[in-house]
Amino acid sequence: MIRVARCRPIGVAALVVLLASCGQGGTDVTPRLQWYVFDEPSGAFDAAAKRCSAAAHGAYRVETASLPASADQQREQLVRRLAAGDRDIDIIGMDVIWTAEFAEAGWILPWPGAWAQSAKQGRLAPTVQSALYEGKLWAVPFTSNTQLLWYRTDRVTEAPDTWDKMIRRAQALGENGTIQVQGERYEGLTVFFVSLLASAGGSVLDEQGQSVSLDARATQEALEIMRRLARSSVTDRMLSTSREDEARLAFEAGESSFMVNYTFVWPSAHSNTPQVAENMGWARWPSVQEGQPSRVAIGGINLGVSAHSRYPEFAFEAALCIASESHQRLAAAQGGLPPTLEALYDDRRVREVFPFADVLRETLKDGVQRPQSPLYSDISLAISRTLHPMTNIDPQADVARLRSAVARSLRSEGLF
Amino acid sequence: MVSGARTLTGSLLQRSFWGFGSVVAVAYALLPMIWILSLSFKDKRSLTDNRFIPSSISLENYRAIADDPQFSAAIINSLGIGLISTLLAVVLAMFAAYAIVRLDFPGKRLVLLGALSIAMFPPIAIIGPLFNLWRISGLFDTWLGLIIPYMTFTLPLAIWTLSAFFRELPWELDKAARVDGATPFQTFRYVIAPLAIPGVFTSAILVFIFSWNDFLFATALTSTDDARTVPAALAFFTGSSRFEQPTGSIAAASVVVSLPIALMVLLFQRRIIAGLTSGAVKG
Amino acid sequence: MTSGAAERRLGWALCAPAVLAMLVVTAYPILYAFWLSLHHYDLRFPDEQAFVGLRNYASVLSSAVWWQALLNTLIITITSVAVELVLGLALALLMHRTFFARQFVRASILIPYGTITVVAALAWKFAFDPTVGFVNVLFGVDQAWFSERWSAFFVIILTEIWKTTPFMALLLLAGLTLVPQELLKAARVDGASSLQRFFRITLPLMRPVLLVALLFRTLDAFRIFDTVFVQTRGAQETESVSIIGYNALIVRLNLGLGSTVSVLIFVCVIVIGALFIKGFGITLDPRRST
Repeated sequence: MIRVARCRPIGVAALVVLLASCGQGGTDVTPRLQWYVFDEPSGAFDAAAKRCSAAAHGAYRVETASLPASADQQREQLVRRLAAGDRDIDIIGMDVIWTAEFAEAGWILPWPGAWAQSAKQGRLAPTVQSALYEGKLWAVPFTSNTQLLWYRTDRVTEAPDTWDKMIRRAQALGENGTIQVQGERYEGLTVFFVSLLASAGGSVLDEQGQSVSLDARATQEALEIMRRLARSSVTDRMLSTSREDEARLAFEAGESSFMVNYTFVWPSAHSNTPQVAENMGWARWPSVQEGQPSRVAIGGINLGVSAHSRYPEFAFEAALCIASESHQRLAAAQGGLPPTLEALYDDRRVREVFPFADVLRETLKDGVQRPQSPLYSDISLAISRTLHPMTNIDPQADVARLRSAVARSLRSEGLF
Repeated sequence: MVSGARTLTGSLLQRSFWGFGSVVAVAYALLPMIWILSLSFKDKRSLTDNRFIPSSISLENYRAIADDPQFSAAIINSLGIGLISTLLAVVLAMFAAYAIVRLDFPGKRLVLLGALSIAMFPPIAIIGPLFNLWRISGLFDTWLGLIIPYMTFTLPLAIWTLSAFFRELPWELDKAARVDGATPFQTFRYVIAPLAIPGVFTSAILVFIFSWNDFLFATALTSTDDARTVPAALAFFTGSSRFEQPTGSIAAASVVVSLPIALMVLLFQRRIIAGLTSGAVKG
Repeated sequence: MTSGAAERRLGWALCAPAVLAMLVVTAYPILYAFWLSLHHYDLRFPDEQAFVGLRNYASVLSSAVWWQALLNTLIITITSVAVELVLGLALALLMHRTFFARQFVRASILIPYGTITVVAALAWKFAFDPTVGFVNVLFGVDQAWFSERWSAFFVIILTEIWKTTPFMALLLLAGLTLVPQELLKAARVDGASSLQRFFRITLPLMRPVLLVALLFRTLDAFRIFDTVFVQTRGAQETESVSIIGYNALIVRLNLGLGSTVSVLIFVCVIVIGALFIKGFGITLDPRRST
């Protein structure tokens, strides 16, 4: 099919004739909505796009356009185009951490009343919270995600409920005691820190999201754990370059007994290393303080509508359709992506894919947001830069370093 | 020089010394390319066998990139953008070099010095402004958006090599031809142009290699298959799965994009060396 | 030829398009970069643009990241250029002397020059990778090269050297051909050893070419971006100044702060150029070439 005119205004005079790389004006006038989202290998997103095109009865078509795999790179690709006012982007599969930035920059549209109501309907509170900024809803929560503790049931009879117990248990196990965490300087390190901090009762920013909080006691407690992990023999020697996937691969290799990671590791272990999967147990992320349940950062994809979209009305409608119950079920069953609709955690098909659905739902309900600030990407870089490598963390001195780094990033100062 | 060199490489000992040196040099130059070639022939199973030479040859990776629309788009963009900027840069440089070599006018030193300073200019210094200007004017993620900086950054190289070549041309010939009754155009068409073509061709090769190689402009000023060139596409190659590193495909793609340049280098080796060194010796 | 005034006009007219293009694409943007560096200009906060004087400079210069990156860039530049000079000289002598498959040797040497930097960076990255690479097995070591600063630097610098030594060697080869053979022969007759001939005659005569090659490669190495971007993306404290400029401009879209980095890099390049010209007495006088 021929695309609707994709001509971009070209400012400089000469050469234009030679180069005008515009697509031909089309004969097909059905509006085409481009949904930018990470490349989902199972095809669940493509299926949702197809079904929503069919449901539109010719009013519009939805097509997926794939983004790179890592969240950092997705954002890097998108913001450049959004800043350039690219009109080819209609629906954006936004990582939960982009809401404030995209809203403040005027790249996405706030959801109008009635649509906002249905977008919030039945969804877990923290997932809705992740799409809010300055009291408005900027996206519909589509899929969610959070980390659980994975462990080897053949080596550990009962999952440790605190980090302290886990580290001691791992040390007792000796060679097979490795704990897999994310220690590379990237978003995953920030997630690790934010989860530890929240579990210790602290937060990065104050409630208004305007200034640094980083309570000394909680921050120090979180940093102590990170340092202890890195300095003891219980973490991987590749800790400083370990991301989620490195952790998964190492766990599948069999020498690790614990891992904090997202739910994708479950189906992966089953297809790659059944002998590991057989002995794979799950539990809630360990607490920092005994008796205080852990609070883990939530992730996931919300669907926003680009401010430069030619068809915002259609885009809102299509986004709601994509994020509807049947497509969330499909994304869960086929692609292993946890739903944002609470009721789906009782769904038979979803529970087949997620035997750990109850723990997952509980974790998500208590989920914590990463700082909801338009400067989040700077804040996150400031955190991961200050805390990397984990071996060099000095819990006392680093509270002050972390505070000043976050404060600088809030003032848009300094480099990362 | 040749005869002189021959006397200097007299003894058998010396000969074997330089012969051995040549083998080392060739190995040095080709090692990474042979490695990436062998990596590209490994299938998924043997990819992690750490062997330098693949145990068996698989074309799996080449099939994968042949089916990848990202990759073919990048090749077309690279070729198109590279050829157009080469054409523009060489034509503009020809005018300038002709004037510098054949005409006397104040400011020609300034032109050469200016060109030289641009050859040393750090491109990162103008990425921000260009991004902002391109964003506002709609040149972001278009061919023209890359052609403009490529043309500019290769002009110095083209002007210097062309001036060096033009200086060697027997311009007196045109007088002789005109005495024989040829018009100025005929002189240019039949006498000067054929002699100038090798030099023009050489600078075109050098300019094309620059555009084909550039990564900074390509990554900052493009974002989609509309204009993304080969180096940027390689660096951002996603592959088919979210969690698998597409190492094999990247290796195959690297081989494919290196072949044309390798071929060009082998075919036009003499010219490239002459072009690269002309500026240095005489400048 | 044509008379004075007409010739002048024709000369200017022929140079005008090239000069104009160079001015528009470099001089204008660098001025614009300077203007941006004096402003708070962040595309994520389109409503908050304001003149801030030298605040961005204070912010960058008080940032440990900038100094770290500058140090990294200098480490990469100095090490790679020094090694390239030695290797380049050896290669140049080899190309000058050898008759063993001469054309083939010369053509092979050009391969690194023609290879896309990103491809070279990927090839070496894969070679040193513990899971797919051959280097660890070959040397019997068990090293995660990119998870530690100095080993990552080692691979980055190695890639730089591999890629750019041929260019250095070719420039030096051109210098070698300038050394009159009669002089060398005469010295030989006078009983000078080959080492003496090299250090007393060849090297001094090559000095101008040597310095130009050094200047070019130093400035070129100083803008290193592709290799670092592909191999470490600046992790393990390996970022170069160009990488942090890119991060501020393109990743954070903070054009004010990023342009400040740009202007500072530009100043560094001018300082390096001036040092070479003043310190080593390089002449880049084009009169000799006209």
